[in-house]
Amino acid sequence: MSRTVLERLERLPRRDLTVLALKGISTLVPGGWSNPTSADQLIREVIGSNDPELIRQVRARADQLSGARAEGYGRALSLYDAVNRSQHATGGLRFLANVTAGLPLLKRISSITPPSDTLQAVDLSLKVGAELLAFTQVNGLPGDSFGDFGAALADYAGEARVRMAALICFDGLLPLGDQALQRLDGLLGAAGSGELRKLPAYGRMAALIPGRGDEAHMGFLRKGVDQWLGWAGGFVGQLGLSGQRAVHALEGSIGPWQGRMDQLAAFLDAFTDTYAHTGVQAVARRLVERAAAEI
Amino acid sequence: MPRPLRWVLGLGLAGLLLVGGLLLLPFSDWLPGGTVGDISKQEVVNGTAFNRLFPAPGAGEEVVFSQEKRGFSEAKLKRGGELLALLAISDTTTAPEARAKFQSSGQQIKGWPLVEQGPQASALLVADRFQVKVIGQGSGLDPDRRHALLGAFDLPRLAALEPSAGAMGKQLPPASGEPLQQLAPNAEPQPALQPAA
Repeated sequence: MSRTVLERLERLPRRDLTVLALKGISTLVPGGWSNPTSADQLIREVIGSNDPELIRQVRARADQLSGARAEGYGRALSLYDAVNRSQHATGGLRFLANVTAGLPLLKRISSITPPSDTLQAVDLSLKVGAELLAFTQVNGLPGDSFGDFGAALADYAGEARVRMAALICFDGLLPLGDQALQRLDGLLGAAGSGELRKLPAYGRMAALIPGRGDEAHMGFLRKGVDQWLGWAGGFVGQLGLSGQRAVHALEGSIGPWQGRMDQLAAFLDAFTDTYAHTGVQAVARRLVERAAAEI
Repeated sequence: MPRPLRWVLGLGLAGLLLVGGLLLLPFSDWLPGGTVGDISKQEVVNGTAFNRLFPAPGAGEEVVFSQEKRGFSEAKLKRGGELLALLAISDTTTAPEARAKFQSSGQQIKGWPLVEQGPQASALLVADRFQVKVIGQGSGLDPDRRHALLGAFDLPRLAALEPSAGAMGKQLPPASGEPLQQLAPNAEPQPALQPAA
């Protein structure tokens, strides 16, 4: 990606369906969410100063860092993009299947699309896996021990709470029901590598996932999901998240929804970019924190 | 629906997925190389070497490491979940312009030049190479507290890193320099491979 991270931050939409969906979900999360899209504002917050010369220096350093491939900031964004594309494709298929189910000639499309629960579970685990991979690209392996790494991961997730809430609601609770987190392991156990291959993002990520072959990759994803589930379970309990509450929160910003929850999830998957949108914001913050320390 | 039509529809959908998911992907990001300022990674001290030089947290506070890269390590100082400050050590090899500001510095901490950057950031240059910085976050920290934090870093060991560290980045085991010996096995982590552990 030739654009720098901060340029991509400034090109994020200020008001569209993605932003509305996130605004809706953020009402469930204490602290809320303000859709940060200004790089200068972000830099000002991090360095606690309005000095234009300092801001210019931080920005120049941030651009230099995000231009360096080995530093991983651009790679994290390309991971998010890949997952986003995969989400659009599968969401579009599911949405199409829903819409065409009522039309006689096109009814068969719905019978071609794969059973959505398993596919959705694999999709969620792929997103969680991408999140872990992107974390290591952006932050390296902070600290000297595994405990340090776990603390850093929990800290990062806490910082991106709206992002995590969106991931849990849009890809877990809405399509899979309130028991999504408990069901996930069983669904993944039932999923073969065939399901994995059906996801477009997988082809893109396969080379990055440790292990050889689809079976090993599936194993990695399940391990990653296991770790994440522990954290996510606490998060869901703490905020009292549920599919019903998510629908209410979304109705507050998007408008009334008459259909089923999984249809809403398919609609959001097909037409919003919440994962990549909040991903750019999270990466930009970490990048600015580093650039501010290095100038 | 006739069988051929079914096939055409199925293939069409699969084709769409392929085009959408695979053909438009940017691969350039994943090529190797592309270091900061085109300076070889071996010349930069690995962030792992910095980790144990961070100050120990005071009562009720905690230090959570947030980023670790070649030539950089950063941690957050927190009290009861509230973010107080960012603590960082960086190797200025990739950012030589960062050293310039210390030339006009009047103050010192433990013999190393000190510079204020705006109302919330204090920086120290150790051994003319490593920049140690404390940036107050949220409600902020007063300068005295920031200076105390800077002084609490293990500055003597940081200064001692310099002579061998640049050459040693990848070479195992280290020829000399006891403080680094235990760190060396971690010297070149493979980020993408670790999360499964």
